Parts: sequence; C-alpha cells; structure tokens
Amino acid sequence: MNALRKHIHPGWLIIAPLLVMVMALYLGPILNILWLSVTDPEPGFGNYAKLGESDALIRILWTTVRICIITTVFSVTLGYSIAYAMMHCHQRQKNYMLTLLLVSFWISILVRTFSWLMLLGRRGLVNVALEDIGLIAEPIAFMRNELGVLIGMIHYMIPYAVLPLLVSMQAIDQRVMDASRNLGASGSQTFLRIYLPLTTPGLVASTLLVFILSLGFYVTPAVLGGGKVLMVAEYISVQLLVTLQWGTAAMLAALMLFGVLAMLWIMSRFMKLSTVFGGAAR
Amino acid sequence: MQDKQFMKEMLTDSAQAYKQGRMDRRTFLALCGASGVALTAVMAGDAEAAADHVVMWNWGGQSEECHGSAIGDAFTASTGKGLRFDTSGPLEGKIKEMVESGNVTADVADADLFNAVSLGPTGHLEPIDYSVVSKDKTLPGYALEYGVSVILYGYAFVYDTEAYGDNPPQNWADFFDTAKFPGMRSLYKWANGSLEAALMADGVAGDALYPLDMDRALAKIKSIKDESLYWGSGSEAHSMCVNGEVSMGMVWQNRGRNIENDTDGRYKLVNNQALAMPGAYIVPKGNPAGAAAMQFIATAQEVPAQLALLDCLGMTPSNPAAFGQIPEDQQPYAITSAMNIDKIVYNDPTWWGENGGDAVNAFLDTIS
Repeated sequence: MNALRKHIHPGWLIIAPLLVMVMALYLGPILNILWLSVTDPEPGFGNYAKLGESDALIRILWTTVRICIITTVFSVTLGYSIAYAMMHCHQRQKNYMLTLLLVSFWISILVRTFSWLMLLGRRGLVNVALEDIGLIAEPIAFMRNELGVLIGMIHYMIPYAVLPLLVSMQAIDQRVMDASRNLGASGSQTFLRIYLPLTTPGLVASTLLVFILSLGFYVTPAVLGGGKVLMVAEYISVQLLVTLQWGTAAMLAALMLFGVLAMLWIMSRFMKLSTVFGGAAR
Repeated sequence: MQDKQFMKEMLTDSAQAYKQGRMDRRTFLALCGASGVALTAVMAGDAEAAADHVVMWNWGGQSEECHGSAIGDAFTASTGKGLRFDTSGPLEGKIKEMVESGNVTADVADADLFNAVSLGPTGHLEPIDYSVVSKDKTLPGYALEYGVSVILYGYAFVYDTEAYGDNPPQNWADFFDTAKFPGMRSLYKWANGSLEAALMADGVAGDALYPLDMDRALAKIKSIKDESLYWGSGSEAHSMCVNGEVSMGMVWQNRGRNIENDTDGRYKLVNNQALAMPGAYIVPKGNPAGAAAMQFIATAQEVPAQLALLDCLGMTPSNPAAFGQIPEDQQPYAITSAMNIDKIVYNDPTWWGENGGDAVNAFLDTIS
C-alpha cells in the first residue's frame, strides 16, 4: 500500500471520479465517431479516400476554413480595439461598454442571426432607407451570400474575442508603458514594442477561441448564406440526418477534431500554451 | 417481497391515472423512478407504453394540435388508447439512430414515403399490417411494404403579382426563365422537388420524370443559380416570400394559402405541374405500443380525419374517397381537388428511397 502511494499521488483519488466521467461521457463517444469513420459503410479508409476523390468535399472544407480565417481576423482586430478602448476609458464608460458587450453575448444566436435579415435584408431597414433617400436604385445584396455569413459570424464572435483580450490587458502593469515613454519611446513605439508583445497570449487565446468556435458554425451560414454557403457543420448534419452517410459525417468530424488538435500542437511549438489559457508563464 | 408487490400495484394504479389524464407525465415518470422501475427493466418508453397510448413523432408547431384533433380524438374514441407526441421531427437519420440505440420511444413517425423505401429493407421499420391498414384508402402505388401515404403535400410555386401583373408565370418553364420573368427565385435546399421542377422546365413530361436525369436537372438548376436562394424549412420559404426577397418561390403547397394571406394576395400560388409528395406514416422497429400503431394509421386514413388534416394543416388527402368532399374554399389549395388533380405530377418514392442520398449530395455540390 505504501509502495503504491509512493507512485500514485493520493490527489489522483480525488479527481478519479471526474476522470472516469470524462472517459465515459466524452472520450467514449469520440472514439465511437472515430470508429464509425473507418467502419461505415465498410471497414477501411474509404471515407478518408473520398477527400482525394471528391472535389465537393474539398470545396466545402476550403469554404469553411476561408470563412473561419476571415471571421477570426476581423473579430480579433475589432475585438482588440474594443478591449483597448475599454481599458483606457473612464470606469463609467467601461461599465457601459462591458454591459453592452455582455448583453449581446447573452442574446441567442438565432435572434442575432434573424435580426441581421431585418436590418440588411433585401427589404430590410438599411436597403429601404437608402432607396428612399435615392442613394441606390437596386437593393444591395448584404445577406443570403458569403458576405451575409461573414457579417453574422463576425458580429457573433466579437464578444468571444474581446473577453480573453480584456483579461490579458488587465494583467499588464501600466507602469511599464510609463517607463517606456519616460525612456524616450514614442507612443506607437511603446504600443508596438511593449504593449502588443505583452498582450500576445491574449491575442493567441482569442484567435484560437474564435477560430475553433467558427469551425462549428451551423445556424448562421444556413440562414444568412441563402443555401449557397455550405460549411462543414451543416454538411455533417445533412449526412447524418438526410443522406445517412454516417461514415462521411464521422470522417469530417474526425478531420475537424484532428485539425484543431494539430493547430494547438503547432502553437505549442512556438509558445507556452498554458499562458494562453491563464496559467503562469514558467 | 411485500415492497415489490406494493410498488407494482402503485405503478399499475398510477399508469391508469396517467392514461386517464389524472396524473401528468412527469409525476408518473418520477414514480417510476422512485420505485426503481426506470433503473431496472423499464425505460421511459416502455413505461409510457404500459400506460396504453401511442406516441406520434411529428414536426411540432401546429401539427401537435392538428394531429390530436384530426386523428387522436377518433383514435381514442375507437380504441380507448391515448395519443402523445414527440415533436422533434423524424428525420431519416434520427429514426435510424433511435432504432439502433435500442431505445425506441415513438410508435408512428410522420415521415416521407421514400423513408419507408430506404429504412424498411435495412430493418429499421415495422412492416405495415395491411389487414388493419387499407391499401384502397390511398393512391395506387403509395401503399408500400414499410409505409403508407396518409397525406399528400406538394412542391408548387408562388409568384409576385406586382412583378408580373398581366403576364403571370404558369409552369416550371416560366419559373426557370429568368429572361422573360426577371427576379430572384427560391428552391428547396435538399434537392427534392427542385430536381423534378428543373426537368419539367427543361421539357421532360410529368409522367416520364423517373429515373431522374441528374445531369440534365443539375444543369438547369445551375442556369439560374445566380438568381436563386435555397430554403431548408417551410418557415424559411415563407419568410423569403413575405419579406420580398424573391419574386417567385418554390413552396410546400400547404404553405401557399398562408403566404397569400400574409401578403394580402400579392403573392399567388400556382399548382400547375405541382409535384405531389406522399407524406407517409411509418413505424420504427420495435415500437413500444406494438400493433396499436397500425390502428392509429388506419384511423388517419378515414375520410373525416383526412378532411380534418386538410382543414387544420393544409395537408391534402391521399384517400381517393375524400377527394370529392374537399370543401369549396380549399379547392385551390388542395392538390388532389377536382380543380388541381389533372394538373399535378406524382413523386416516385422508390427512386428517391434508393437514390436520394446521392441526389441530395450532388444537388448541394451544385448550389454551394
């Protein structure tokens, strides 16, 4: 018993129930999906071979990645300036901004998606107003295309981008900036060489968060894309529910999983991921 | 031992109370749980079946109320069994998943007849018992081994009367002719109906559609892709018209009347060349209520139920005996009414059951 204790820290006993639960409820189903991707409809790597044969699958994956990259770039850029503004304004304004941010964070994705249709649709508020003023003759096609999907997704993702950045900016010792100015650096030099590097963990965290969440978007592209913007999540759902090609669905799901893991691994080569997720930089 | 006896009696009593509506479902299931029933042998589905009713798996919305009043009341009157609902929508993949998980909680699924063709032979459905259900109370060819058509819905289109005042579009050829009839179009996203419409627009006769010439259909779909939106649900199709996003929209014909009303008659339904789709009731393999599901389907086939479904949901009767009794004000909207029946085209569930998956993927590939 003592020998055992030497090798296994008693702390493990405390987290053992959690581990068992995670194994049973999380790892089990994931393994099941992986299993399905190599067994349905027949054993082998036929589902993965489809990637090489089918232009359609490659195009759907490319559409997904493209939209996610654009969404991430815009959300994080806008999120950075919002977070920066929140850090450097009066407490009162900061509270207002935080409230607005959280309110939009809490509103259901469906409501936010359909609101865009009301606002920017063919006969939405903006188009009707512009037509009435006489600025445009034909409604501008904001919605029901890739632009619509991007607008909807970026809007949804901004709070996710802001929050990690805010945390990371709050942790910075403002005196460092003062020191930099004191030593003769200009404002932009201080920002680019001191502030930006110090917020890198926050930037990486929000980039990862936004990109990974974007990969799974389903409702927004389905509604705002007018059926023409097909992303992986919707395609997986069609394969599961309508065409019954569970193997293809499982293969795509596995691909997304490995894609995300690979991304994390590459990131870990360049930096301590623990700092991104709030741990100390050791 | 006594405890067990007590538990059993209590459960039987509460099952009776539940059946007669004196106890709500939650309390009943809680009692099952308290007595260990749910944990040991009986899953929720079994317990519900023990309470003697049929669970209908439909698409929610109005259908819950309509299926209850149109079929449920008559079914309860004749069999003494109640009707409960699962409104999560019996998509093919969900039926397959339910049966394969071994926890079948639904008795009758409000699905498509082509689902019966694809899920039946793979062992996911109970065969229809034609000693209870009647083959004569549906259209010929729509009573299959694993499913029977109870209602018809249709793929028709609506157009904007203000856009095409004096010279309205009359058929699918006009629908696909964006030179003569400029404006946006909307089509169904999951291929069904869209492919048939494209072929008819390209000159294929309505009775010579199957097997579908996929290349030809997709080429036609592609020809108006820039002027097309695609919808995935009835409400989306509805809002695309009501919000003025499209000048012509393919719709489920039972939505036509609502669209006409919601736009004060600006949009008008065209049933010429409408594709009649057999909506079918199918029974998941190992359903909890057993043979009662067949009695339920038989009830739904009766003329009063058929007319009530038309009145409540806009679903067209599939029982020929009901065709002649379609009321005057429903004539323009019911595709099997005397007014429309000679103009419609019939879907082939067998082709769709066998080729549907590939057709949907090819279609998605074309439009995305």
